[in-house]
Amino acid sequence: MNPEGIKYHKEHTWARIEGSMATVGITDFAQEALGDIVYIELPELGASVTAGESMSDIESAKATSPVISPVTGTVKEVNSALEDEPEMINPDPYGKGWIVVVEITGQGDLLDAAAYDAFLKEESQ
Amino acid sequence: MSLVVIGSGPGGYVAAIKAAQLGQSVTIIEDTEVGGTCLNRGCIPTKALIASTSLLSKARELDKYGIDLNGTVSPNLEKIMARKDKIVSTQVKGIRGLFKSWGIKLLEGKGRLLEGKTVEVLLNDGSSISIEADNIIIATGSSPAHIPAFPVDGINVLTSDHALVLTEIPKSMVIVGAGVIGCEWAFIFRELGALVTVVEMLPRALATEDTEVSALIAREMKKKKIKLMTETSVSKVVVESDHIVTKLLNGPDVVAEKMLVSIGRAFNSTGLGLEEVGVKTGKSGEILVDEQMRTNIKGVYAVGDVTGGMLLAHTASAEGIIAARNICGQEVKMDYSCIPAAIFTSPEIASVGLRDFQVHEMGIKTRTGMFQYRALGKAHAIGEIVGFFKIIADEETDRVLGAHVVGSEASVVIHEAAVAIRNGLTSKDLARTIHAHPTLSEGLMEAAEDVHGEAIHLPKK
Ligand SMILES: Cc1cc2nc3c(=O)[nH]c(=O)nc-3n(C[C@H](O)[C@H](O)[C@H](O)COP(=O)(O)OP(=O)(O)OC[C@H]3O[C@@H](n4cnc5c(N)ncnc54)[C@H](O)[C@@H]3O)c2cc1C
Repeated sequence: MNPEGIKYHKEHTWARIEGSMATVGITDFAQEALGDIVYIELPELGASVTAGESMSDIESAKATSPVISPVTGTVKEVNSALEDEPEMINPDPYGKGWIVVVEITGQGDLLDAAAYDAFLKEESQ
Repeated sequence: MSLVVIGSGPGGYVAAIKAAQLGQSVTIIEDTEVGGTCLNRGCIPTKALIASTSLLSKARELDKYGIDLNGTVSPNLEKIMARKDKIVSTQVKGIRGLFKSWGIKLLEGKGRLLEGKTVEVLLNDGSSISIEADNIIIATGSSPAHIPAFPVDGINVLTSDHALVLTEIPKSMVIVGAGVIGCEWAFIFRELGALVTVVEMLPRALATEDTEVSALIAREMKKKKIKLMTETSVSKVVVESDHIVTKLLNGPDVVAEKMLVSIGRAFNSTGLGLEEVGVKTGKSGEILVDEQMRTNIKGVYAVGDVTGGMLLAHTASAEGIIAARNICGQEVKMDYSCIPAAIFTSPEIASVGLRDFQVHEMGIKTRTGMFQYRALGKAHAIGEIVGFFKIIADEETDRVLGAHVVGSEASVVIHEAAVAIRNGLTSKDLARTIHAHPTLSEGLMEAAEDVHGEAIHLPKK
């Protein structure tokens, strides 16, 4: 279900960690729950983010909610294509819908794909 | 009994008509144009422009509404300004017509107080006359504040007055001051296509509003790519031939084609003979009045912006009516506890009563109800899902103390909360009033329900 090789935060975000860099986005479950995404407030380049804390706000047709960072570090890249097309997140949350790249100094309590799948199952009961 | 009113903005002209209705013989003096700032350089012309820019913004989203556009959509500033001018001149004629119908004599010139309740008028044709009156109302309003640091020239460095007569859309604009006027202009220019930067000294835009209102509008600015820089102030303005460099105390230089200065208003209290007659003014030149709009000199009243305070057209008018009624022997006082106000940003903002930070400062225990526009069917139907309704009620008595609405038609929706506050109604009174479906007003009802966690369209808390 959720792709292997990336780590998941219980607040429905993911991190693809490669060396000291992590690409971060929201999970398929999150995009599904939010519905059509209409806006994402992207963090600024150079901003620091903290695992377990909000790094940006995302707005959909249904709700406005914080995006909880799965990692701690400094924002090195932002997906500025989302400024004009935030709806790209919906069909491809793990690909074109990535949000930021963070140079990491730490990470939250992250799950692998199987554990996140199990967590989602548990939550839905 | 005779009354002379100096200034014919919403304070003065309303006072004049009310006094005439109550049987006074009224003369009103105006040095520019009837209707004052509000009609000629304020509320009405800006809202006429906003009508054009909101339509422009909708037109850019036609596809979203399932409408194909065969061509392009673009603003034509000349026509937009002409439309605005026509609206203003029609309204001006309307006020002149009202003066005629109520037998109010209009003198076009500059008024000044002399001893013994005499007003000297320097008429626009150069002649001057003196008139005596039993009572005088000063309603001379306010003008854009000038600070030497900002070299306002009307060409590159503008005030709101100049912005209203621009003939070309600037490519970029730096706006100094994120108050009501600065924020309204930011959205207007952005919608017209200018790159807009707003510089504000305080930590947030619209600092007199509820903090959640400021947060939402800051986000909407971001969405529209209006750059808002808070907690920075301008240290130097360098005007070059084709651009302006704004140097900030803490931040990078901002380069823009034009600058709009909206840092406050100056009270029109000089040259009025106030000192000679002994009318007391405050630190900033505002005329000091009591709750009956009386100055310290018997028979001399003052209303509207020139008295400081809220700087709102409807406050000026309400004060004008209070002054006129007191002059006619009715003992009435001005009540400032429930004055709704609207800000015509995109989306609109409206508020009445207490803000979150005031409640905090006053140490009142409250409950807050919140409801999002995006939870309303009507908001989706009209494609306006941004915004919220917020109600602050007293924890003990449940009386509504404040209401804040950001979103489409907020300026219309707010008034039932004003009725509630004015009449001491509770959040439950609002919640139990049946609201028509589907309307945006339902959002205020749901926010009222949410005060007690009982909103139907919100999940269990
Ligand atoms: C850009 C802008 C947008 C605004 N938008 C809104 C809004 O949406 N809603 C709102 O409620 N308020 C708004 N305001 C504020 C509103 O315009 C003022 O609060 C209101 O006009 C105050 O009314 P007033 O009668 O006190 O004074 P004014 O409207 O300023 O009128 C005073 C009049 O007296 C004349 N005068 C001055 N001195 C003399 C003299 N010696 N002799 C004769 N005449 C004299 C002046 O020329 C003027 O015509 C806005 C203001 C601006 C600048």
